[in-house]
Amino acid sequence: MSAAARSLSRKRPSGRKALLATAMLLVAVASAFPIAWMVLSSLKTPAETMQVPPVWIPRTPTLEAYDKVAGVVNVGRSMWNSLVIATVTTAGILVTSMMAGYAFAKCSFPRRSLLFSLLIATMFLPPIVTLIPLYRMVGSIGLSASLAGIIVPNLANAFGIFLMRQFIAGVPDDLIDAARMDGASELLILFKIVAPSIAPAIAALALFAFVYHWNSYLWPLTVLQGNADAYPIVISLSRLLSYNRGAVNTGLVMAGATLAVLPPLVLFVFLQRFFVDSIVGSAIKG
Amino acid sequence: MAKAFSASAGIMLAPAVTLIGVFVLLPMLLTIWLSFQDWSTQTPFSEASFVGLGNFHEIFGPTSVGRDFKTALLNTAIYTALSVVLILPLSVVFGLLVYQREVAGGTALRTVLFSTYMVPMIAVALVWSKLYSPSEGPLNQLLWLVGIGPQPWLSSPRSALISIVLLNVWQQVGYFTVLAIAGLTQIPGSLYEAATLDGANGREQFRFITLPLLRRTLLFSAVIAIINAVQVFEPVALITQGGPVGSTNVLTYHIRRVGIERAQGGLGSAMAVMLMLSLIVCVSALFAFVNRKDSE
Repeated sequence: MSAAARSLSRKRPSGRKALLATAMLLVAVASAFPIAWMVLSSLKTPAETMQVPPVWIPRTPTLEAYDKVAGVVNVGRSMWNSLVIATVTTAGILVTSMMAGYAFAKCSFPRRSLLFSLLIATMFLPPIVTLIPLYRMVGSIGLSASLAGIIVPNLANAFGIFLMRQFIAGVPDDLIDAARMDGASELLILFKIVAPSIAPAIAALALFAFVYHWNSYLWPLTVLQGNADAYPIVISLSRLLSYNRGAVNTGLVMAGATLAVLPPLVLFVFLQRFFVDSIVGSAIKG
Repeated sequence: MAKAFSASAGIMLAPAVTLIGVFVLLPMLLTIWLSFQDWSTQTPFSEASFVGLGNFHEIFGPTSVGRDFKTALLNTAIYTALSVVLILPLSVVFGLLVYQREVAGGTALRTVLFSTYMVPMIAVALVWSKLYSPSEGPLNQLLWLVGIGPQPWLSSPRSALISIVLLNVWQQVGYFTVLAIAGLTQIPGSLYEAATLDGANGREQFRFITLPLLRRTLLFSAVIAIINAVQVFEPVALITQGGPVGSTNVLTYHIRRVGIERAQGGLGSAMAVMLMLSLIVCVSALFAFVNRKDSE
């Protein structure tokens, strides 16, 4: 901020600051309210969740609802399934995206920009468009109702390639040329030289992919066709709703939701810089 | 230099290109092909039989199939338009709140706003179904505190779709706020200083500097918001099942019900093709609109 702008802002009335602060607080409260209410409700007794007017803060917080969740769905198994789906998919996306991103940024080959445009176009294709044939395809290669069926079609995506190309393009050519002179293979250059210098971008992609696939619902629901052993936590969660309709299960549902939210939210709170970087990288580094 | 031979480029590209080719591009082409076929999702692709435009006649025809599809198309259009119209201005306002330097706490606000984007849509749907609950739901209780009567939210055909829009806006606005902030950081501060010296007030600066220079960001945001909006599935599948009286029957939910649950693969594919075409038209129109403004 320049001296002129600074002196100007000093002249601004303090009422403006109060207004800004109030607006910020209101927005933050409105945004945080549903999550706070979810966690608080998960700690209430069944009677408290039904009270009118509502009990905002549980008087005697209890983990009863979490116990009940464990009685309805196999929480450990579901969390494990989610972890396997999200981790394996993320690992696949990282490898395929880095390799393709490197090729688009640092290699020359015919029809490069055409191929890139074609791949990037798929970024804007809503999954529902391909759902029906994909469901049949996965069924005919014998992967339906399995974790592999969820994972395999998602091991590469255009967003990852795009993001990796953006960041790898920023790595100096000299570094790569020097390694090529020494006879290093392209794969070796990618993983030994390029990867370390774009580590934050890789972390960003990893977190984004992990959270996206931890949270994803439509595709697992379609592939699994009721095979409860392979349910990720978000699908197990939907069973809580049908298990006992009505107000009685509010605490139960909120406990389940809290469990499903926890891993992505904790990751985010500690590593939010990377998430923000990946969005910014996709938006303005073009 | 830094250009390798095509051979090694091929090796680097092979995994991603093969996977995307087989699991995205091929099914996309299959969707188009299947939309001209009479085909049950339960049977192999080889059992499909050509029916020309038959599926399209049916989904736009006067039968119940046609009525349901047209309702779903209209609901998705309304849902998408409302989402974009709410998300874009909010993201700019929130972006300005985070980006301003007069009051501390911008980064904390960004964290709170963006954290909702990490919550799985399924959990969002479940939590909001309880927030919207007519009697013990907190939203009606809060409205009561400020003197507004209880709203039916999800239980009335007139408000169910907008209730789902609000839930969607709540979850996604943080993501778009981050995009808006990215756009704001790209605007050179010198422009504001010059405008200040010329005597432009805050409102004029916003109108003549901030907004025009955010146009690219807003275009990108609008495209992403549209693509995200047509994918709405969880709140509909879990809370409303398309009701009451079809008021929340959106395309993603409807296509899956027809194509997977009822196994009418040809019909479902024709619907998916219509969705794809509508998207292409929307996004092209948006680009044309922004480019026309640019050349002015």
